[in-house]
Amino acid sequence: MPILDDKVLGEVKKALQNMQKPVTLKLFTQAFECGYCKETHQLLEELISTNTLLKLEVHQFESDTQAVETFGIDKIPAIAVIGEQDYGIRFYGIPAGYEFSSLLSAILMVSTGLVKITDDGKRFLAGLTKPVHLQVFVTPTCPYCPQAVILAHQMAYVSEMVKADMVEISEFPHLAQKYSVQGVPRTTINEKWYQEGAAPEAMIIAKIKESL
Amino acid sequence: MLDFNLSLSSNADSSQIYDTIIIGGGPAGLSAGLYAARYKLKTLMIEKAAVAGGQLTATQWVENYPGFPEPVLGKQLARDMEAQARFFGLEIVNEAVKAVNLAGEIKEITTDYNTWKARAVLISTGSSPKTLNVPGEKEYSGHGVSYCATCDGPFYPDKTVAVVGGGNSAFEESLFIAKYAARIYIIHRRDSFRADPILIERVRQEPKIELITDTVVDEIAFQDSERKLHLKNLKTDQRSDLPVDGIFIFIGANPNTSLFKGQLDMEDGYIVTDREHQTSLAGVWAAGDVQAKSLRQVATAVGDGALAAYKIHKYLDR
Repeated sequence: MPILDDKVLGEVKKALQNMQKPVTLKLFTQAFECGYCKETHQLLEELISTNTLLKLEVHQFESDTQAVETFGIDKIPAIAVIGEQDYGIRFYGIPAGYEFSSLLSAILMVSTGLVKITDDGKRFLAGLTKPVHLQVFVTPTCPYCPQAVILAHQMAYVSEMVKADMVEISEFPHLAQKYSVQGVPRTTINEKWYQEGAAPEAMIIAKIKESL
Repeated sequence: MLDFNLSLSSNADSSQIYDTIIIGGGPAGLSAGLYAARYKLKTLMIEKAAVAGGQLTATQWVENYPGFPEPVLGKQLARDMEAQARFFGLEIVNEAVKAVNLAGEIKEITTDYNTWKARAVLISTGSSPKTLNVPGEKEYSGHGVSYCATCDGPFYPDKTVAVVGGGNSAFEESLFIAKYAARIYIIHRRDSFRADPILIERVRQEPKIELITDTVVDEIAFQDSERKLHLKNLKTDQRSDLPVDGIFIFIGANPNTSLFKGQLDMEDGYIVTDREHQTSLAGVWAAGDVQAKSLRQVATAVGDGALAAYKIHKYLDR
């Protein structure tokens, strides 16, 4: 049974009609012991059918060690959204529920180059000299989460120093434990610093400054 | 399973003067947007969240909006309202408003990214959850203190949680959390509840939920290895500790009106309007939860939005 019904497929098609450049979705998966790998794979298969500029490449997490290393994948299911280059945009866990918006946003951004970051924000991100790792913890039923995810992914797109992950926390309970997450969205910056809620750009940038 | 909006690539143009700008995309704003678009007004909605629908998006089930004999998912209703308004031409940009200048003939609305201009403005910014203002609340917000059950309910499988409040939100969200948690205490300062009788009945029938009345939370003591709440019974003055893993707070809402302070007449922070939703400033309307009124529901917000859009249409037509 398809995940995306005809109505949703039509809406997705419309949402992606402004795509300009090709986008490759690299899925890292395995056959066993992965909660949502199969569903994520199916979702992406259906998604790429909506636009010819979309391509899906499937990598086996266990055997395709070179790709796993190149793209820095440490858990599955994982999706790397790749345009003309790898901008460091990742989704860990199935991008279902409200996070489907975040996936479509990432695809459109990489395809069109359109971002909504202020000039001050762009200047700050361009001047980064140290790597910044943003992990946005979400649940699929959280309506405030895509905002935080989209902002982090935009920062990754703008700066080569920034990597940004969506992490669907209910699929990775050990991370909830490790980072003591009990509320979403939460943006964790370079492991130790974090910001609760769908915070505006300026607040996230202030936290990044703190972490450097 | 998949919920998304289509405001990903907007054609909005900040060099234009819009007929009307709607600030806030909850049910009031979306209804106004639908009506304004059908009046063929050049209409822009500014919504800070990536997903329109306001508090509806964080509501699991809606059972009291007419036309849906089966309970409808809040997010589904929100999505459908948005799709309907967009179908008739409503444009939405996802930006947070930083400042407004509402006094002149042309109103200006400034975000981080643009200054938008319009001849008429509808304020439908809604409200945000009230806080308890007790020790521990701020420190543990996001670490066990939550204001969104659909967001954070999944963190409490087989756990014990407290829900504070006696209104519809507290009762509805408790029933939602009961899908995950093993035990729920609803703590309320009075011995009667504002929640609709049908919800009270349902909560009383749910064996996982226990009601604690005449009681307030004095402190959220989550610093110890065993997390607990310090409670005080208001009738007996007796104090007690309640071990819980988390606490959800649903004690009403504060209007989102800080942007408009000093520019519009207000009452307890809510925007005062006439019965046709006009505020104290010409060309500025308010609709939905942000307005001073007695009932804040999806059903009332929708009516507010429709009437405000009609009056804006008449105003621009003059």
